[in-house]
Amino acid sequence: MRHDAILTVRVAQIHQETPVVKRFTLVPVGTDRLPPFSAGAHITTYAAFDGRVLERNYSLCNHPGTRNVYEIAIRRSDNGQGGSAGWHHHIRVGDTVHISPPKNHFPLSQRARHHVFLAAGIGITPFLSMMAELRARNGLFELHYAAPSRSYCAFREVIETSYPESRFYFSEEGMRLSPNVLCGAKVGTHVYICGPSSFIEAFSQQAEAMGFPKSNIHAERFTAPTPENPRPFRVTLRKSGRDVEVAAHETLLAALLRAGVRVRYACRAGGCGTCELGVVEGEVEHRDVYLTDEEKAANTSIIACVSRAAGDRLVLDL
Amino acid sequence: MMALQQRFPFPLEENSYFYSNNLKPLQPPCCIQLTTEYFHEVAEKRRLLANHPERCFHALPGTLAAQWEVVDEIVHQLVDTYPDCFTLENRGDEWTFRNLLLNETEQFTFGDSSTLPVQPLDWIGRHVQEDLLLMVQRDDDLHLEAGQLCFPSAWSLTFDLGMAFHEIHRPVPWNHELAEKIRRFLLRVEAGKPWTRVNWAMHVGRRLDLSPEAFHEWGPARYQVSSENVADEVQFRVEEQCVLRLPGSNALLFSIHTYLKSVGELSQNPDWAQKLHSVLVTLPEQVAAYKGLTAYRAQVIEYLERCQ
Repeated sequence: MRHDAILTVRVAQIHQETPVVKRFTLVPVGTDRLPPFSAGAHITTYAAFDGRVLERNYSLCNHPGTRNVYEIAIRRSDNGQGGSAGWHHHIRVGDTVHISPPKNHFPLSQRARHHVFLAAGIGITPFLSMMAELRARNGLFELHYAAPSRSYCAFREVIETSYPESRFYFSEEGMRLSPNVLCGAKVGTHVYICGPSSFIEAFSQQAEAMGFPKSNIHAERFTAPTPENPRPFRVTLRKSGRDVEVAAHETLLAALLRAGVRVRYACRAGGCGTCELGVVEGEVEHRDVYLTDEEKAANTSIIACVSRAAGDRLVLDL
Repeated sequence: MMALQQRFPFPLEENSYFYSNNLKPLQPPCCIQLTTEYFHEVAEKRRLLANHPERCFHALPGTLAAQWEVVDEIVHQLVDTYPDCFTLENRGDEWTFRNLLLNETEQFTFGDSSTLPVQPLDWIGRHVQEDLLLMVQRDDDLHLEAGQLCFPSAWSLTFDLGMAFHEIHRPVPWNHELAEKIRRFLLRVEAGKPWTRVNWAMHVGRRLDLSPEAFHEWGPARYQVSSENVADEVQFRVEEQCVLRLPGSNALLFSIHTYLKSVGELSQNPDWAQKLHSVLVTLPEQVAAYKGLTAYRAQVIEYLERCQ
């Protein structure tokens, strides 16, 4: 198993951006270096609340050119799993937190001649680093930002100052961000969408319907966090009819090897695909980085070293 | 020097040929190996860079920031992993790097390429045995945009520069679907989670530089293998490759450390000799051709049988 690189940072500042959004400034501990990051990047935070470590992804919202400082902005959600509420209620200046190095699943297109950013609510965060980057290299862009109201619009003042051409849509004032803003876009325009999944779905579909090539539509989708409590399950081997029990603390691969089933494997970290096994029945909870999203959705194979059953049972083509 | 190690990552694990990408997490996360060949190989790299700059180093415009990120990464790997061989003192961006093995000191301003004698990637590459290649991620694809390549295994940086992943890796003896999976895997490599794999091939003649540009120097030897010279001339070549994400530029750094053992040296280890023999006997013809050993496979098999 891989031991992931984990960075330790200290909360240096907490700034209340709106009644429900706080911005946290993170600085390194025990070293003076943090890895650099690129526009659109995020980190995974591992914060412990009531003894439970919650894994959450947050975009870095400061300028990618600033070194050795990360800023994240978190909207408090009271009906979530407790991650954002934990950050709001329990994290204080001076606390230390564990985080991943920066990752980027939402990079700026290098081909775009014009960038259109569509943000809803806290979905503004990745665009802050992207706009800073584009401004630094004289890129062309426009921001359309939907928020409930002026006072619940995080980073409104800094956006108004730095990017005065930006458009705001406050629903309490009867303003609505509509896909019409994409009308008349010139060839070479790329559109970036970040917000609730319903917002992402609606605007990406609309953009596609309006003729944007798929490669010009970008949406921020965070990968599902690692489930906190792996559960035991049973696998049935179709060809031999055998059952193998997979305990909560072990991987499917380990259980199969323990039972004497010959399975080829290499990386044991969900990367190489060597231990891919056919799935005949049962839903898979995919945790690998090898299968494509389409292959994962097809549910016909499982990477045995990291992935598990979503339910109680899987039937494998073994 | 304490840190110089005898190392040969023998890659064959089974008694027959089975293609796998044998990828593993790189642990510890350092892609630089200092081996007993350090002085010889670094000198050979520098000689090739001086004599054949047009084939050993290329960088497209726009890669300087990523090249500096490579310097940052490799220098810190070196001083953290081999503190008795390399040191770094820095005051802000004013860096003093010392290579104690070669007794060299370089002072420069980090990020200011005019303070280095050559481009940043070229500079740091002259302190390590590895070839270093930079693949830039742009619009969901990877492009080879910079590299220092002195010990290529029959491929040309000059030819491949600027190409996308599939353009570089065509043709391969495996199917396109697998190449696509590898590409997608690489797109998802994350900072702090580097990977490593080993690759092997065979060739004739004790040399690390198998540039296509110098094919006339090394290519014909494959037809001159005899039972008298097979042990010394035929080389088992292992490439230890690492890939890591550079989070500032979102590019990937590939390092390739090349190891050679002649078939004679290899057969000193009966287990290795036996595994190589089994693999050569079962190797499909097209893979044998890809690895360049069709012309002398029979002589190697015969030699390994004589040793047993």
